[in-house]
Amino acid sequence: MKRYDKDLTLLRELSLLFGPSGCEGEVADTIERALPSLCDSYTRDRMGNLIALIRTGDPEKKQRRKVMISAHMDEVGVMVSELCEDGLLRFDTVGGIDVSVLEGRKITLEGACGKISGVIASKAIHHKERKDRNKPTPMAKLFIDIGARDRAEAEGYVSVGSFGTFDSEFYRFGKDGAFVKGKALDDRMGCAAMISVMSSLMGDRPKADLDLYFCFTVREEIGLSGAKVVAQRIAPELAIVLESTAVADLPDTEDAKRVAELGAGGALSVMDRSTIYDRDFLAFARWIAEEQAIPVQLKKYVSGGNDAGSIHKSGVGVRTLALSVPTRYLHSPACVASVSDYHSVTRLVEAMLRSMTPVLP
Amino acid sequence: MNNSYESLAQEIVALSSVMSVSGYEARGMDEICRLLGKGFDRVETDAVGNCFLWKYCGRDGAPKILVDTHFDEIGMLVREILTDGFVRLVPIGGLSPSVLQAADVILYGKEAIRGVIVSTPPHLRSADENRLPDCEELLVDTGYPKEELEALLPIGSPVGFAPVYRELLSGRLAGKSFDNKACAAIAAHAISSVPKEKLAGDVVLMLSSYEETSRLGGASAGAFSCTPDYAMVIDVNLATVPDVPKVETVPLGGGLSISVSAATDLNLTRAVQALCKARGIAHTMIAAASSTGTNATSIQLVDGGIPTVDIGLPLRNMHTYNEVIDLSDAEALCSLVEAFVCDREIADRFCGREELPR
Repeated sequence: MKRYDKDLTLLRELSLLFGPSGCEGEVADTIERALPSLCDSYTRDRMGNLIALIRTGDPEKKQRRKVMISAHMDEVGVMVSELCEDGLLRFDTVGGIDVSVLEGRKITLEGACGKISGVIASKAIHHKERKDRNKPTPMAKLFIDIGARDRAEAEGYVSVGSFGTFDSEFYRFGKDGAFVKGKALDDRMGCAAMISVMSSLMGDRPKADLDLYFCFTVREEIGLSGAKVVAQRIAPELAIVLESTAVADLPDTEDAKRVAELGAGGALSVMDRSTIYDRDFLAFARWIAEEQAIPVQLKKYVSGGNDAGSIHKSGVGVRTLALSVPTRYLHSPACVASVSDYHSVTRLVEAMLRSMTPVLP
Repeated sequence: MNNSYESLAQEIVALSSVMSVSGYEARGMDEICRLLGKGFDRVETDAVGNCFLWKYCGRDGAPKILVDTHFDEIGMLVREILTDGFVRLVPIGGLSPSVLQAADVILYGKEAIRGVIVSTPPHLRSADENRLPDCEELLVDTGYPKEELEALLPIGSPVGFAPVYRELLSGRLAGKSFDNKACAAIAAHAISSVPKEKLAGDVVLMLSSYEETSRLGGASAGAFSCTPDYAMVIDVNLATVPDVPKVETVPLGGGLSISVSAATDLNLTRAVQALCKARGIAHTMIAAASSTGTNATSIQLVDGGIPTVDIGLPLRNMHTYNEVIDLSDAEALCSLVEAFVCDREIADRFCGREELPR
């Protein structure tokens, strides 16, 4: 089977884009530019979600199966909350970022004159009491330094409400470049996988009569809100959510707490904090994976949540599946995933879509 | 960025990118020679990892002027190879676990490989868990199988931060190891740019070793072997942040700092202060009562006593991979070093030693 985004050009481009929740414009613009050749028609809705449709089989057929495939475009980030007299900025997090990964980081902020760089400043270790050195520095004692000498200079570049993201390199590492490191792999890997699948389906359309809605959603990181309205409008019968999942696979983690394993394929969820997944759909996914020898694993520990939480309860209810790329250090500037898992997810989604028939499995 | 800053900024970034974790200064020697060598007459190293860059004035019996900038950087060492590509580290120098989570590092074994220091995502962290692992328990994720890591990374291999630099507003720079390679680059720039006939004596720029692990380490041995008449020690100084009393810091962008201390030479300190005033070089005076916390403490107690002045470059986020400096301070420091090595009055005053009674 063809290997999509083999050299990770697509994932690299998407990872480096600026797209904190509520500020997904740059990611949406970039994907939208590619959409004309990736689908039959598309819309950008008033919330900023991109909805792209591929119709397969006989377009005259009335009985069609509606499937929603979704990945979110947003990433965790920061927002400026106060411009201090000395030119430093106070800030808040957008989405769940653990305070321990903030101190000392490079940040990209968006403001009146475009993007600027900043660094999260704090008290140096020399001024910290010994007992505080093992504790994350609390938000109240962290500031973004953009280099402004005073408030007036800072006001020329940013304002209260300016959004920011981590500024972090994207690179492959490990033996034979088997792993990838970058910011926002959650969920640009899902977005990249969808684009690869769309490109392949457009080149060789499935025969079955399907309406495939590929949805690039907004604001997942602050509470699953973009996918909710999209699912209501499309009212699909089936939904596949492409995500990243935390893994908890460090050497000192006890087996019972491990969520998934890097390199063992995409992770299918049975249950997480927001959803109990459809059993038949899950069985179908596992059967296709086995049939086509695509590596897949089950998420072993109930944790996290994703757009499935709002999709499966929308309208009259949607049979929903979540397929995730296991990702270490989620919501940090240095997320790590396995390149082969990312490719497995892409392959499995395509294989499932190619095996769907207009009647229920 | 202001044009006059640009070449100085490039030199600071180039030198700061050389890996020189304390104890491994020698690994960067070829790179140092390439970057700095052409501005000097002779480059030599000694038994404890110091590097000396000499520039001669061409006159016999001229005074010897030492400019010291320590060249080592904080970092980590490989402590233990674990399974699944994880490696346990041990810190070198003062590192806070709170700035290491999710940091990009490079492991310098038989080849340089990239790694990411592990962190716990909020999804998996329990609310009451407010303690980070000790530096000695830190893991780095390398993506190599254990057997290959064992071959690639001998225990004790140095680990440094990945060199990524950003320009901020007002001519400020953010990046790794400006402590103290920014000062080394500035001093080298200043000394290189002075025509030799203008020098007040033979100048030696000492890139001293392991300051971060032991203040009595490289510099005192180095000062002993090059026997200067007087010395200027340049190291970074903690810049103002909101969470620390102003009196304990120096303002970023306010120029260089001059320490008044019982541990340095008061006459030389005043002479340097006067020099700054005369040349209009921006500076802040700081009171460092009993100790400067720099190499000045050890250098001035070597070889019968070397009059030493302690100069600082303001720096924010010290001992992180995003230390911030202000290039206007860098330029002030550059002007001072130029003026200092050319100052004949200071040379006349501080040259030579009293004979012991016979």
